[in-house]
Amino acid sequence: MTLLAAAFVPGMPHLLARSPAPSWRRLADATREVGVRLRRLEPDAVLLMSTQWFTVLGHQLQLDPNPRGRRTDENWYAYDYGHIAYDLRMDSDLAACWAEEIEAEQMQARRTRYDGFPIDTGTVTASALLDPDRRLRYAQVSCNLYADAAAMARVGAAGRKAASRSGKRVAVIAVSGLSSGLIQRWIRPEEDAIATSAYEEWDRRILDLLAGGRVDDALAIRTEYGEQALADSQLRALAFLHGADALTGPADVLAYGPVWGTGNAVVYWQPEAAPTRESPQH
Amino acid sequence: MPRVFHVPAGTVRSRRSAAAAADRATPCREAGHSADAQQDDRGRVVAGYLAPHPPHLIYAENPPQNEPRSTGGWEVLRWGYEELRRRMAARGKPDVLIVHAPHWITMVGHHVNAVPNPRGVSVEPIFPHLLRYHYDFATDVPLAEAIAEEGSRLGLVMSLMRDPDVRVDYATIGALHLTNPAWDIPVVSLSANNNPYFYSSASLEQMATLGEATRRAVERTGRRAVVLGSNSLSHLHWDVEPDVPEDMAREHPYNDAQYKGDMRLLDAIRRGPTRALPPVIEEHIATTSAETKAGSLTWLLAALGWPDVGGDVLAYGTVIGTGNAVVEWVAP
Repeated sequence: MTLLAAAFVPGMPHLLARSPAPSWRRLADATREVGVRLRRLEPDAVLLMSTQWFTVLGHQLQLDPNPRGRRTDENWYAYDYGHIAYDLRMDSDLAACWAEEIEAEQMQARRTRYDGFPIDTGTVTASALLDPDRRLRYAQVSCNLYADAAAMARVGAAGRKAASRSGKRVAVIAVSGLSSGLIQRWIRPEEDAIATSAYEEWDRRILDLLAGGRVDDALAIRTEYGEQALADSQLRALAFLHGADALTGPADVLAYGPVWGTGNAVVYWQPEAAPTRESPQH
Repeated sequence: MPRVFHVPAGTVRSRRSAAAAADRATPCREAGHSADAQQDDRGRVVAGYLAPHPPHLIYAENPPQNEPRSTGGWEVLRWGYEELRRRMAARGKPDVLIVHAPHWITMVGHHVNAVPNPRGVSVEPIFPHLLRYHYDFATDVPLAEAIAEEGSRLGLVMSLMRDPDVRVDYATIGALHLTNPAWDIPVVSLSANNNPYFYSSASLEQMATLGEATRRAVERTGRRAVVLGSNSLSHLHWDVEPDVPEDMAREHPYNDAQYKGDMRLLDAIRRGPTRALPPVIEEHIATTSAETKAGSLTWLLAALGWPDVGGDVLAYGTVIGTGNAVVEWVAP
């Protein structure tokens, strides 16, 4: 198995707005750029975790090979971006294998395959930007609200093991925000700004550490970041990516900016010698 | 052996027409409470219920609207709901049930469902094996609009939700189904702004204001209303599930502290008056991670006008370790 790349991308639907704020457009463009890079690597699958698919019992894996429908967001329904069509290609074999590896870690894996299952806004937003032509296939796990960072790291590691066992070349993506200072009123896009300068300082501190390749230092202040800047899901998404051993070297921070007051970033990691299908693999 | 669930959503078993739903939206009354007394109750919130929503309770009831089948379980809580239904019927069918639910999570402000006839299948993302529920009910749209107006007047950020594609959440469905499985009473459902729940300490003032707005709207529209606070109590719970969800050998309080926290709150509720409850609720949230942080209980008491009475605990039980109580308050 080869782990080709990793990314941390936003899940706010505003990135799909017909008339976006400048920040939303930058974040959307950066997410599209991640998609271009990923597709160039031609992964067999993408291991995906969205903090907006939150669960409380065990770790849920999506086993529907083709979830499709139209997501109407329960908060943003009044906007064009509150309605998102989706038609996802899932690698359900890899997801099933991932479930077995989670169970091998003595954690509960729950296999999910139901018609009409509501795919979360983060997943459909990110997939629409990363892969509008549906070339990528995903294996998706939920974000358990009560799993600590160590458990999320083990879930990430289990995904990597599953890919290795399946002989698949994969990328790993976490869909998550940063600070969560959501503006508590309806705003015009041009009014958008990070809720407070303190939140922005925290976001930038984390991003600077990632850009410097100091993932361990970022993880060391994750709890404090969660408390001080209300980080989305306490930034456990980073622990998930780290557990998959996906955060190699300095990150490429492609964009940072507000969405309705919250902090969002597009961050990309790629090993220096991530092979394409044509290049030799070892 | 791991199980994989794949059950087609199928068709609505008993879908009723929008016309029938519109008929149901017309306030109606039936025997059991004198017509004069009901007339006196117009423009009042006549009763309020803490109405917990764990999907396990609907699952255990095996109603035709829900696809999964069970062998029962959680009987004491379900018997509490039976008693709720008996009491509500004895008092005379209300014009409307108003529910505040913590799983219609909204990020900006408070939303009121103003879709005349919400219907669809609600596949619950956390418990899809327990709840795939075919819903079809009537909304009291004029009252929904009045609540949004009154909330705005009181300074809240309010939205009227008129999009029929927004899936109705399990906390709304759970409280409403268990309170009125016939679904023959019009409904107004309110979202829970998630900021108090996820991002701050138990700042429940807005929920009290929303309750006040609800009460004013009921008075203005002349409805005879019952309010439902769709909240569980202590909220630490198991992070794994037994192979058979209704295995009651696995059902008990998460720990003794959670149980005692619930009992302290319920004891205060029984003693009354309701105005003494806010600090007790805040302490309960702090000590038990209670779901009341989402505000449904505070909203409920404010909608009742903080009556000088105690609540009647109809049942208490745990669901995956969380505390749940069915409680009645009757406006004097």
